[in-house]
Amino acid sequence: MISQQAKESIERIFLHSARTRLPGNSSDACEITALDAQQANTALASHIVVLTISSIAFRFLLVLHFNDDEATRDYYLRDAEERSLAEALMEVGNLCCGAINQQLVEFFPDLGMSTPYQLNGACLPHLTELKPGYLATFRVSIGANVQLGATLCMCASSPVDFVAYVNEAEESTGELELF
Amino acid sequence: MAKVLVVDDSSTVRDEVAGFLRKNGLDVDTAVDGKDGLAKLKASPGIRLVVSDVNMPNMDGLTMAEKIRGELANASVNIIMLTTESSPAMKERGKAAGVKGWIVKPFKGDAVLDTFRRLAS
Amino acid sequence: MVDQYVIAAALAGVAWGALAGLFVHRWWYRRRAAAQQQTALDSQNTVLALAEARHAAEVRQHEQQARELHALVDTLRSDLAQQSVSADEAREALNALHLQKDEWLQQATRLSTEAGRLRHLSATFERWHEQMISLMAQNHDMHAKNNELSSIVRHVLIVSLNASIEAARAGAAGRGFSIVASEVRALAARSQELSKSYHDSLNRNDLITTATFQDIQAGGKMIAASLASVEALAGQIQSRLEQAKT
Repeated sequence: MISQQAKESIERIFLHSARTRLPGNSSDACEITALDAQQANTALASHIVVLTISSIAFRFLLVLHFNDDEATRDYYLRDAEERSLAEALMEVGNLCCGAINQQLVEFFPDLGMSTPYQLNGACLPHLTELKPGYLATFRVSIGANVQLGATLCMCASSPVDFVAYVNEAEESTGELELF
Repeated sequence: MAKVLVVDDSSTVRDEVAGFLRKNGLDVDTAVDGKDGLAKLKASPGIRLVVSDVNMPNMDGLTMAEKIRGELANASVNIIMLTTESSPAMKERGKAAGVKGWIVKPFKGDAVLDTFRRLAS
Repeated sequence: MVDQYVIAAALAGVAWGALAGLFVHRWWYRRRAAAQQQTALDSQNTVLALAEARHAAEVRQHEQQARELHALVDTLRSDLAQQSVSADEAREALNALHLQKDEWLQQATRLSTEAGRLRHLSATFERWHEQMISLMAQNHDMHAKNNELSSIVRHVLIVSLNASIEAARAGAAGRGFSIVASEVRALAARSQELSKSYHDSLNRNDLITTATFQDIQAGGKMIAASLASVEALAGQIQSRLEQAKT
């Protein structure tokens, strides 16, 4: 029920949102590779952060995978070691999903986004229980040595079809709009 | 006495925004959600500026703004939303709730510092 | 003396002649005058007849025009009557529209109020969110208990292994004990399997619960946003109808 061009559009939107929101600095490298189903199920990360975007026709889940290791802590917590890595990644996930939301709202005017939630990495394979129409996993390498994973999951209750191309130049964030 | 109140359920955001403002000489308090924000605002009448997220558990930022103007009858405190939400419908609701400004995350402190200082004085 | 009579007779004769002549002249003149009068009268009659004919024609023409005018007046009268009816109908329609507009204004106001009221549905979602937190805390609790169970089972396995070793050392005397130890080990192995399966179920539960509640939370926001648009639209209709209240 999710058309091929819709799937490609979602992937494009995710790639742009991930590149602009996952790295701590916009200058840091961000390599994203798609994984097939088999690769996706081997070597599960220890933690995941889940976010949902709901529309009348579909629900979309963004799952960020991470390990609580030194490389990730160093990168996302920098100097403030006492902070929670999970909280930092929940906010990063929130920003990334927010960017996806902003793109999707052009095509689906009625959209809502949830707050992020952290779960055990072993929960990931159970996504199939939701019977998704689209499921894709990616490996995300940020900076020198940070390894994250991302899974996109979409379940549609009615046909979903749209075409989206992301305008790479459009970045109107951080500005204060006074009413 | 605190002049600015930063409201967000993410400790990362609270630390980032409050930290930046404190570093620039502002007196900042924080709250974890809308309910907490209302309580902190009631307890500190000196607060001139509230910077709040929209999506929070227990009470979202827009409901908190509506209650600040309604139940708390505080028409003078400046409210700025700092959120991933950007839909025009949300902004309209914000405007109707008496919100003064809207920033789409991520937070870029340098760009807004002067305005924040002005709104907090 | 005869001359006088002759002269007198001649004179008389002349006089009678003149008189007769006069009479004849007058008779002839009268006759001529009468003929002249007759002619004049005749020509006057002709003129009169012509005039009468002309007059009659004019009268006919005037009558024709009068009839046409009457007909026109009748047409105009019936047109006026029709337009009067149309004007009445238009007035009625306008009144009906005014009533309808008032009705629409009422509906728009009601719509606006309803949308505004439904926006507060978000309070319901906040309630559900609290319950989600409580459920997830319970799940967390179950995870912890399961882990503890798992650890106990592992311990039991170790104990049963030790027991088997001791039983073997005891030789024939320990055979009964050895059987018990094996059974315990088998039970411990099954418990471990169950615990693992339970761990898996808890993970599945965590994900489904989280996904469901996030869907509800996001769905609630979607509804609130849609209602805000409806409220705004209804408000616009309201103000436009109120403006047109002339």
